Amino acid sequence: MSLDTLLVVASGGLVLGAIYALMASGLAVVWTTLGIFNFAHGAFIALGAYLGWQLSHAEASGLGLLAGALGAVAAMFVIGVCFHYALVRPFERKANIVAASVITTLAGAAIIENGISLVWGPRSKQMPRLAEGDVALGPVVLSASDLVLLVTVAAILAGLGWFLGATRTGRSMRAVAQNREAAELMGLDVPRLYAVSFGLSAAMAGLAGLFVGSIRFMTPTMGADPLMKALIVVILGGVARFTSPIYAALIVGMVEAYSSYFLGLYWTPAVLFALMIAVLVLKPSGLFTSHQRTL
Amino acid sequence: MKAPLLELRGLAGGYDPIQIFQDVDLEVPHDRAVGFFGPNGHGKTTLMKTISGVLEPWSGDVIFEGRRMNRAAERGSRRWRNFNYDAIIPRRMDPKAVARAGLIHVAQGNLLFPEMTVEETLSIAPIAAAGRAGGAAETKRRRDEVEALFPRLAERRRHKARYLSGGERQMLSIAAGLMAAPKLLILDEPTLGLSPRLRGELCDAIRQVRAGGVPLILIEQDVGFLKELIDVLYLFDHGRISRRLTRDEVPSHDRLMAMLFGERE
Amino acid sequence: MRYDPPFHRSNGLVPALIALAALILFPLVFEASYLRHLMILAFVFAVVAASWDLSLGYGGLFNFAHVALFAVGIYSYGILAKTLGLNPWLAILLAGPIAMLFAAAVALPVLRLDGIFVILVTLAFSQLLFQIVISQSDITGGTSGMVTLPALSLGGYRFTKDGRIGYYYAALVLLVLAIAFLWRVTRSRFGRGIVAMRDAKYYAISRGAPEGGTRLVTLCASALFTGIAGGFYGSYVRVASPDIFGLGPLTLILSMLLVGGAGTIWGPVLAAFVVTALSEAMADLGFWREILMALLIIVVMVFYPGGLWALVQEAREAAAVALAGLRARRRRAAQKAAREARMGAPERMVETRHGLIAVAAAGPDEGAADGPPILLIHGNSACKEAFLHQFAAFRARRQVIAFDLPGHGVSENGDPEKSYNIPAYADVAEDVLAALGAKGPFVLGWSLGGYVALELTARDPAAYAGLAITGASPLNVVPEDFARGYDASSHVVLAGRQFFTPAERSRFAGSATAPLSEASAFMHANIDRTDGRARFYMLTKLSVVDWPRQMRMLREGTIPFAVLNGSNDPFLNHGYIAGLNYGAIWTGAPRDIEDGKHAPFFNRPEAFNEVFHAFMADASRARA
Repeated sequence: MSLDTLLVVASGGLVLGAIYALMASGLAVVWTTLGIFNFAHGAFIALGAYLGWQLSHAEASGLGLLAGALGAVAAMFVIGVCFHYALVRPFERKANIVAASVITTLAGAAIIENGISLVWGPRSKQMPRLAEGDVALGPVVLSASDLVLLVTVAAILAGLGWFLGATRTGRSMRAVAQNREAAELMGLDVPRLYAVSFGLSAAMAGLAGLFVGSIRFMTPTMGADPLMKALIVVILGGVARFTSPIYAALIVGMVEAYSSYFLGLYWTPAVLFALMIAVLVLKPSGLFTSHQRTL
Repeated sequence: MKAPLLELRGLAGGYDPIQIFQDVDLEVPHDRAVGFFGPNGHGKTTLMKTISGVLEPWSGDVIFEGRRMNRAAERGSRRWRNFNYDAIIPRRMDPKAVARAGLIHVAQGNLLFPEMTVEETLSIAPIAAAGRAGGAAETKRRRDEVEALFPRLAERRRHKARYLSGGERQMLSIAAGLMAAPKLLILDEPTLGLSPRLRGELCDAIRQVRAGGVPLILIEQDVGFLKELIDVLYLFDHGRISRRLTRDEVPSHDRLMAMLFGERE
Repeated sequence: MRYDPPFHRSNGLVPALIALAALILFPLVFEASYLRHLMILAFVFAVVAASWDLSLGYGGLFNFAHVALFAVGIYSYGILAKTLGLNPWLAILLAGPIAMLFAAAVALPVLRLDGIFVILVTLAFSQLLFQIVISQSDITGGTSGMVTLPALSLGGYRFTKDGRIGYYYAALVLLVLAIAFLWRVTRSRFGRGIVAMRDAKYYAISRGAPEGGTRLVTLCASALFTGIAGGFYGSYVRVASPDIFGLGPLTLILSMLLVGGAGTIWGPVLAAFVVTALSEAMADLGFWREILMALLIIVVMVFYPGGLWALVQEAREAAAVALAGLRARRRRAAQKAAREARMGAPERMVETRHGLIAVAAAGPDEGAADGPPILLIHGNSACKEAFLHQFAAFRARRQVIAFDLPGHGVSENGDPEKSYNIPAYADVAEDVLAALGAKGPFVLGWSLGGYVALELTARDPAAYAGLAITGASPLNVVPEDFARGYDASSHVVLAGRQFFTPAERSRFAGSATAPLSEASAFMHANIDRTDGRARFYMLTKLSVVDWPRQMRMLREGTIPFAVLNGSNDPFLNHGYIAGLNYGAIWTGAPRDIEDGKHAPFFNRPEAFNEVFHAFMADASRARA
């Protein structure tokens, strides 16, 4: 086996890792600010993909890929905000918000998945590729589509990092995540910040859905597998820092790519879970730190 | 006559279903400082949280600068005890609106945001002053004042709050409160659990804040320190104001305890 | 919301037996095997959901591998009964311990994790099991699962015959056993440990409860019947499919648990039937069925987060309040003559700030007036007739007044937020005095009535001739001094309970209102009439009482004051009462009535009346 093969596999791993990073960061944004786990995140992926397809595909609205993607992401932001108001907001001051929102977000996911089946039918669809052609980077030849994906994800994650670290709204979101009562006393608009984080998270999921839809077939339950991977990512990396799920996502993407190549698709999940269990046993709070709820 | 800075009318509250305090009537005049003294667990902190809107008032009004901060509706009898009224009834009071009006509450034992640096914390603190007290220049001026007041914080600008000592955290809380350009500052036991030296430093800072003309509501267990700063002292026990004393009437700690509980055998 | 009922009206035995009888008769009435099929599914899901409640509701552990444990039961049955050819019954029984082993494996990684991490790790664990199952296709049949598992039979009788009636009863037995097991566990010492670990983890640990051990045993206990139910389910549907690991079954069973009400055992059982029935009723709607079910779950959780069981409890509470009100109205007319005969005084209804109040007032005889009137205030869950001996002794020479507190006796029920607290009771007393035109009375308060009397007189000590309390400790610092003034090991803790079980009722009656006897039976009848909310709300409204004002009055001695307790009062701490600082207490110290219990004026009336009379005479002399 040649170095080239290794590099090709690595580029595939990089693409997977980028998508997982986008998903896991979106999941982490809601988890850390609201302290809940959003089970509808996988359904958001599917919905984002289908909305993107609807807006961009020639058989449907046919607005073109860029407009379709932007429209889908914007729509997902709005849907995320609505989800927050309908499913999470009513428990905002209850002690049992975690249990209550688990079941409401699961139910929300069921609504989205079955709604997709109703609207778009069960037949699978595919997004057009993000770009045509190949790009040679030294010895590695990447498809232009993958390159667009990588650059977009990198830009978005960097943008998110900048937003959380340097802007007033981003800092406010982190503040709310760390101490809600103190944030309220400081005059921060906590309900709005919660809604924004939910919307942001849904928009990121929608974008991830567009990417997933461009490399796999789209089905109403297409989000389940990436959600599971994002879950492994979050367990591996922890969410202490904004960057830790990103590293973990790259690790998971690489492991998945190499194990699929060398061991076969069949064994890949087992390898990933074995990795996860090893981490859990050795360092239960994640590879990168020990704190659980901060941004 | 000018309306008092803060006025409470028949305020009652607690943690559902347990009522903690009731019928609190209070006026804080402009440019004054009032103190609260009383046993732990009798509702001082709950009262302050209700004034700042973190807890919903059960009945009564909070009026700040002549403006009522709570919605007029009564909390109402919650007939179905398991119904989630939060889903349909808006809160009676919004802590954000209270803070943005200039009533800043520095909570007891406030840890603020453990993973944020001093710098970051102070940068979001002026949000409560937005649209009320000046723009960038004003914020900068306050920032300089605060750093002069707490040189320790200026030194530790890039440290996260969780790596600060208890006293420094308390200083950060007060500094963040001052960055919000308070028209009235509530300090809830700011010196709780501090070493004597840090306590001294913090007390000095609070003296300076008061000397700068910021009206205060100060909860403290140290009668001497209270007496120095405040114009009126309220004894608060069993969920009510049991006595109002002007500064000259404030006796020693032991006498105060006797006023509260009588001589016990 | 985790529903935490503050009350239990009964142990639930009677309703449970009625439900059981109905379920036993069900297949005899409905012969359609489809209905029986639904019931069997509901039984199995009820077992799984109720077992999950042990770890999620009681333990606060979000074990999302619970449905995977159910799947473990199914596959164990498949492997043991089909592949290894074991007796199906034995295979079902073994599925329980096998599921417990897997639960222990889940427990290990989550021993030290909290909250959402537990969700993630357990969910990942269940995915891991899923991966193992589909990868080991030689053993488990891979993605297509195992089919034609052996069915159950007993002594040659095949359970699939006669419209599955055998399976029906077997599932019912399984449900009964599972509930009995869970009931036993949650009511045991260990069950309290589970709840303590959920509510006050560090306190529980500091009191010696092992965190890891508690979690481990909780998860294993919740796995036992889950695994057995899985085995039974496998024998019933005769298929083991990996679909059971998906989000669908998880959502279904979790919705039963939460829509029913977590932390209640009965809620999930009830919801298993409701959800199964609803889901079947919408079977023809295709995708709309899932959407409608999801909307239903959301609506229940958003508006009524306590779930169905909370609704049942609330309905029960409403019924109890209505019944108490009805009893009061009926007795108001029907037993009026008997009450008037007992008291020797006419009864009238007086409109007060807190509703319509029943008042008995008598005396003095024409021309025999000697001294101010007497106002008597009864205690928690009692009635004005408790004072019949005082009426008999004093009515000739004084006006004697007693009334039923709101929610007590034959008075009306009050608004719980406004009328069931000590100041409200004092308002009522003022209104009663005003309505009768009685001025400057002696006030005697018993137990809760003692605090009402203290509150009433402290408002204006000069307006009363004197104050006597019995069966009550004056309190300096509230609530701390409750622990000093009362014996916490006694049944006094029942005083704040909204509902009594039959056993609690008789304990409370025996020690609070008066020792149980023929003569006191009329008073105990009032426990059933008392609005239970009066007991509960009184405790939530302690802070609306101005306690320091009462103590100031006693310290400053601005009113003639006597403490007349029973020497054998089971509740009081006599040492605390004697040690308080009184400005002017009659005879210089509390005066105990020899052999008096919590109601000495009732069980030692002669001795009590003699002392009370002496106090009034001395007080009147002193004031003159």
